[in-house]
Amino acid sequence: MFNRKRSQQDFAEEIKSHLELEADELKREGLSDEEARRQARREFGNVRVAQERFYLNDRWAFFHKTLRDLRFAFRSLRQSPGFAITAILTLALGMGANTAVFSVMNAVLLRSLPVFEPNRLVHIETSNPPRGTGTVDTHQTLSYPVYDAMRRQTGALSAVMAYVPLSNTKVAVRYGAEPEVAEGEMVSGAFFSGLGVNLPLGRGFSSQDETDHAPLAVLSSNYWTRRFARDPAVLGKTLYVNGVPMTIVGISAKGFEGVEPGGSTDFWIPLQNVPALNAWGNPLQDGKTYIANPTWWCLRVMARLAPGVTRSQAAAQLQPVFQSAAYIGLGSPMEGEKPPVLNFADATNFPGSDQEYGKPLRILMAMVGLVLLIALTNVVMLLMARNATRQREFSLRLALGAGRGALLRLLFMESLLLVTAGGALAWAFAEAATRILGQWAQIESSLAPDRTVLLFTLAALALAGLLFGLAPLRVALVGNAELALKTSAATSNSDAGKSRTGRIIVTLQLAMCVVLLVAGGLLIRTMRNLENTPLGMDVNGLVVFGVNPKIPSIPEGYVLYANLLGRLRAMPGVESVTLMEERIGSWWSDNSDMRVDGRLPDVADGASRTVRSNVIGSDFFRTLGVPILSGREFADSDTVNAPRVGIVNEEFANRFLPNTNPLGHTIGTDDGRFTMTIVGVVKDHKYRSIDEEPIPMAWWNYAQIPYVGGMSVEMRVHGEPLAILPSARKVVQQFDPNLPLIKPMTQRDQFDTTISQQILFARLAGCFGFLAVLLVATGLYGTLAYRVSMRTAEIGVRMAVGARRGQVVWMILQDSLLLTAIGVALGIPLAMLVGRALTASLYGVKPMDAVSYFLAVAGVCTVALAASIIPATRAASVDPLKALRTE
Amino acid sequence: MPTQENNDDRIALLQGTLDLLILKTLALGPCHGQGVARLIQRQSEEVFFVDHGSLYLALQRLEDKDWISAQWGVSENNRKARFYTLTPKGRKQLVEKTSEWRRLARAMGLILDNSFSPTREEA
Repeated sequence: MFNRKRSQQDFAEEIKSHLELEADELKREGLSDEEARRQARREFGNVRVAQERFYLNDRWAFFHKTLRDLRFAFRSLRQSPGFAITAILTLALGMGANTAVFSVMNAVLLRSLPVFEPNRLVHIETSNPPRGTGTVDTHQTLSYPVYDAMRRQTGALSAVMAYVPLSNTKVAVRYGAEPEVAEGEMVSGAFFSGLGVNLPLGRGFSSQDETDHAPLAVLSSNYWTRRFARDPAVLGKTLYVNGVPMTIVGISAKGFEGVEPGGSTDFWIPLQNVPALNAWGNPLQDGKTYIANPTWWCLRVMARLAPGVTRSQAAAQLQPVFQSAAYIGLGSPMEGEKPPVLNFADATNFPGSDQEYGKPLRILMAMVGLVLLIALTNVVMLLMARNATRQREFSLRLALGAGRGALLRLLFMESLLLVTAGGALAWAFAEAATRILGQWAQIESSLAPDRTVLLFTLAALALAGLLFGLAPLRVALVGNAELALKTSAATSNSDAGKSRTGRIIVTLQLAMCVVLLVAGGLLIRTMRNLENTPLGMDVNGLVVFGVNPKIPSIPEGYVLYANLLGRLRAMPGVESVTLMEERIGSWWSDNSDMRVDGRLPDVADGASRTVRSNVIGSDFFRTLGVPILSGREFADSDTVNAPRVGIVNEEFANRFLPNTNPLGHTIGTDDGRFTMTIVGVVKDHKYRSIDEEPIPMAWWNYAQIPYVGGMSVEMRVHGEPLAILPSARKVVQQFDPNLPLIKPMTQRDQFDTTISQQILFARLAGCFGFLAVLLVATGLYGTLAYRVSMRTAEIGVRMAVGARRGQVVWMILQDSLLLTAIGVALGIPLAMLVGRALTASLYGVKPMDAVSYFLAVAGVCTVALAASIIPATRAASVDPLKALRTE
Repeated sequence: MPTQENNDDRIALLQGTLDLLILKTLALGPCHGQGVARLIQRQSEEVFFVDHGSLYLALQRLEDKDWISAQWGVSENNRKARFYTLTPKGRKQLVEKTSEWRRLARAMGLILDNSFSPTREEA
């Protein structure tokens, strides 16, 4: 396309031959040799113009010209390296921050599931579970009989996929000798085929595998890479999951890490029906696994709509089946009970991620958008300032015969170079920033920028390029040939209109800076509050880890844990050890209504009756350092044969047993099956997370209830808590060599995970606020320095006629103080709006927090002053004679 | 000295018509640029004036479009010349452009020949 086969010489040759042929013909018509030649030439017209046009029509010519322009622009940028570096860095920072936040937003909120036709996939959800059932999520989890009924439906749904984690954390696996942990899910036979996920290696599961509960496993591409170094020989090898051998039969497509947001599933196995592999790693309930237990709604179910069937059609068709299946094994609905209603939820994106990350990410996106705006306006101001000083250069070029078009091309080429360099640097910066962001946010799914991110960045860059190209347009057009020759350096540059634009931009930047600093301040104060929230216990010296041993029977379970406690307590350096079913500070809690003295307690209208309960071992409160207000805590003597005893917190006692001594009262489950006698009241302390409000709590003793499953072990040790882990691991493995320590960490870190998102949010907001201040400072400094340098001659004159240094400094400062005052006045109302939008993300800080506002305003003023003082004093130290001589 | 402005009866070529004229001329057989210019001028009974510079650029344009092909050869009076030939693609273009031109000419003729008056309107 670009290459024309014909050279210019060839074209010239043709013209020469034409002239000769024409002359020959004219001679034949009777003209003399001389006359014929002249006539031929005249008839042809301008040969040079024809040749020039031939050259210009060639696409190569365009290319050559562009290359020449680029080279010229590069040289001209190199002449002012300070300008070029500042502009490129500013652009890279602003753009890079945007790209990084956008790629996280894209990965978490916008990107679709990496499956076939995600728009035909739905999550099957219920309006509410039937009475008398337990759920993992009120709406999003269903029972096995419901899944089973759905899967038997043909017509509306072309596939039904169920999946359920093997644990609410990680599950013990072993490949080779060493036990380790990984994230695993049990899935139905149609899981891979129904979702349309490819298995580049091996195979997925079939419905036969589901029926047989076949001992097979598929690894995620990520896990295969991370753990097995992409070794194809793992196919056919055995992976022990909770001690149960599974044969690896496939590797999933790259990028598919399950359908849950933010998490990453390492492996999948077909739905199993053995105690060691119960759903969510729970112990059996009345000896039944999730498959046999219709009262436990624990499965997530997805479906693919059959071609041509709409969501509402499918829902209408399946509603009756769903409702009858919901009561399988539960008896008929109670009088007045609201029957569960089937609902199809969108499965295009990851479920739940919007609620979890949506708002903070959108606010961050808005913040980085402001940063980008500041960065872009900065570069525009730099460009305008630079081109204004080049007015004489432009005028000279025009006078020497450069076309106005050539001048514009030069300016566009310069901005193109800036944008390209800035963009490349921004991309590198964004890649690193995204990785750090992912680590901080504990988002394990892939955040690698994809095509959408690239397009976003390119669009932003194109916008920047256009803006930078257009900004100097006016300057270039204003200049004309005579100007350069007529005017001096001092007067040709004092264009009042231009500096007005600059002033408006600086003012707006200062306003945006106030907004960003207030937002950053509010969030950082939130973070401080969260970090300093008293937990109601002494977490220093506490270390926690999970164990999930094989428990053949409940009495053996009691013995196993009693022995484990005994051996761990005997270790040197250990002060005390206890057990808990729900690990504190991990977001998990067991919530239900409880009977007090045989009936559900009376509460004021609308008040909650919910009690959070946990199952714990002896010595629990002493280990945590929670004060016991009255009575006692569980002891080793509270066994299954002793009277069943319980402990409640202050909040429980105040709300349900006011004005009496709670000790000795009986409390129990809402169905009345289990009761216990209160023997102790403890001080309120944090259970689920750091930012929770006190809520009534009750504790059961694990050794007195008929469920025994995996537990978390809490140890109080002397010295560095994590140092105890290797010897603790040895003790645990005396019971079972396959037993890993699940998610071992200090209790402090465990609690911190519940505020990690807020901390991340605050840190990022703080970073962006800082970045904004930095950019505004450089921008302000640049603009002021430039304006002062423009007035060097004027200052020289003023000083020559007697102005004192202080007066000159004040003259310059006055100007920027005015801009700052206007900027702050504009910024505060805007910041109030932003503060209101942030309300839900704040903890212990009001959106109108005076300290944050004061600090933001003080920060902006300091920056503005600092950026003005330097050029101002420099201006004042000008030697009047020298200044005048710059003419 | 005679100048171009003296040739009052010559008409500058309409945009786009030059391409068609070149194609038509080459349909008669291979020819070099100077011959094409002469032929057009002669066949139009000296009405058209062909700007030679534009002609060569047009030839190049058509060659780039693959409607004609070119080869250096020797003219009847033993001069080196670049000969142009119509390609099959160019022949098809010629047919298309010709009928297009005819339609245009007919429409123009209809309007120009019609001695309509604004008061007598036909439905």
